[in-house]
Amino acid sequence: MTITWFQAAMLGIMSMLAASTIACLGTTVGNYTLNRPLIASLFVGLIMGDVKGCIQIAIPMQVIYIALVTPGGTVAADLRAVSYIGIPLAYVTAKSQGLDLGGAEAAGIAGAMGALVGTVGTVQFYGTAVMNLIWQHIGWAELDKGNFKILTAVETWMPIISHLVISFIPVMLINRFGSQAVYTFREALPMDSWYMKALFTVGSMLPAVGMGILLNSVVTKPTDLIYFIFGFTIARSMGLTLIAATCVAAVFALINFQMKMNALEAKKGGAVAVDDEEEDI
Amino acid sequence: MAEKKVTKATLNKSFWRWFYGNLTCFTQEHMQTFGYMWSMLPIIQELYSDKAEQQEKLRTYSPFFNTEPQIGSIVVGITAGLEEARANGAGDIDDEMINGIRAGLMGPLAGIGDSLIVGTYIPILLGIALGFSNGGSVAGILFYIIVWNATSIWFQRTIYMKGYELGGNAVEVIVGDRATALRESAVLLGQVIVGAMSASWVNITTSLRFGEVSLQNNLDGAFPGVVTMLFVLLCWYLMSKKKMSAVKVMGLMLLIAIVGVLIGVFDPGLSYE
Repeated sequence: MTITWFQAAMLGIMSMLAASTIACLGTTVGNYTLNRPLIASLFVGLIMGDVKGCIQIAIPMQVIYIALVTPGGTVAADLRAVSYIGIPLAYVTAKSQGLDLGGAEAAGIAGAMGALVGTVGTVQFYGTAVMNLIWQHIGWAELDKGNFKILTAVETWMPIISHLVISFIPVMLINRFGSQAVYTFREALPMDSWYMKALFTVGSMLPAVGMGILLNSVVTKPTDLIYFIFGFTIARSMGLTLIAATCVAAVFALINFQMKMNALEAKKGGAVAVDDEEEDI
Repeated sequence: MAEKKVTKATLNKSFWRWFYGNLTCFTQEHMQTFGYMWSMLPIIQELYSDKAEQQEKLRTYSPFFNTEPQIGSIVVGITAGLEEARANGAGDIDDEMINGIRAGLMGPLAGIGDSLIVGTYIPILLGIALGFSNGGSVAGILFYIIVWNATSIWFQRTIYMKGYELGGNAVEVIVGDRATALRESAVLLGQVIVGAMSASWVNITTSLRFGEVSLQNNLDGAFPGVVTMLFVLLCWYLMSKKKMSAVKVMGLMLLIAIVGVLIGVFDPGLSYE
């Protein structure tokens, strides 16, 4: 099984629409919808002709990249490559090896493939940001002349040129030629070799990095980790599902909010009382 | 002279321009500045009829701007309100005041947006979607597409309009005590959820045995999933305290995996067929 030129081109177009922070379709629809691996798998599945299989492949990848925060415009890994190169290539690899797409082996391949192509996405992110400098500088020059219409051009069709060069063409080529190379993988990579064992072991560790990133965005002081451990315990030891755990967490959040508000009220009340006394005098 | 008022249609146009264009022409040099100017242009054109004046007012919004753009739509709304007040002759609103508010809000809002929207809300929605999609169903994906876009667009539009109504008074609403208490409580929810997600989705086990005794079984007997939990905490520690990048931590995990397999600590025990 390989990826045809037409399929590769379609994947290239999707990668433009979804390209991380600088997506053609904007932040909410592009970056935070189409760029997420789970959502991308539906579109990759439609292109590849196997929606179910692509979703199964994408689930372990989505877990790894569950929280991709891009503070100050620096990216850890740009998901466009994970979603629109990683998913199709992992799918073709798993399929050509006859693996169960929902099984642990396929999940290992998916995780490793995502980590491998994630760096391609990082290069694409910085490449697009650099190329956009051209359009912004045209914009500044035209604005000085009083041409306001240039803003619409700079914000709409001009960045699409960056995407064609930096997203569309590389994603299409990697998908087209990468999928032919995966055939030889199976002979070259026996499952009982140390490197394949290491590949699958790291595949099981990568989600921990994703959770570490996520934890970093919500933890400010070491005692916050107790809430993390609490959540871990209710899910693992007590077997609560994610939605059930959210309900339990919501109770604690509400109690915390009411305590904070009470403290504020007390402070205000005290201040008012003091004022009253002063007036009496 | 009649009081100048920005029409609803123009406010909508400004909002949608920001919604779409906040990052479409992102560069490291000016980040979201062009999106900001594109969004403010319809408002400025409506408030000022003189071309030279329009150009001068647009220049107010040319300094660097960068925040979490979704929650940042409130800032665009605030400046729309301030610009309207300025056009009606409010003497205390000048370029310095507008840019002071922009600069003062973009830092805190970036922190709030990254931790609440990107760090808590999106992962919870994705987590629920992953549950629905388990086994290859499209249900979870459709759930995420609809719920995320509907709530996010509603939220962004609401805070834009609220920002416009409040103008400069919005600053207190955002960084006030009540908002801080609410935010801290939502983050607490996030902390518990991250723990539950780690327990549900990460599974790291050791194959180390001492004769008949399996280390993994003994550890799970003491605290189920303790190896997994320690790995997540290690990743967090390296990124937050040691300031390592995520890519470097991934590299380190690869190294641990290779060494671990070679000395017999890890063995996934898989085969093709």
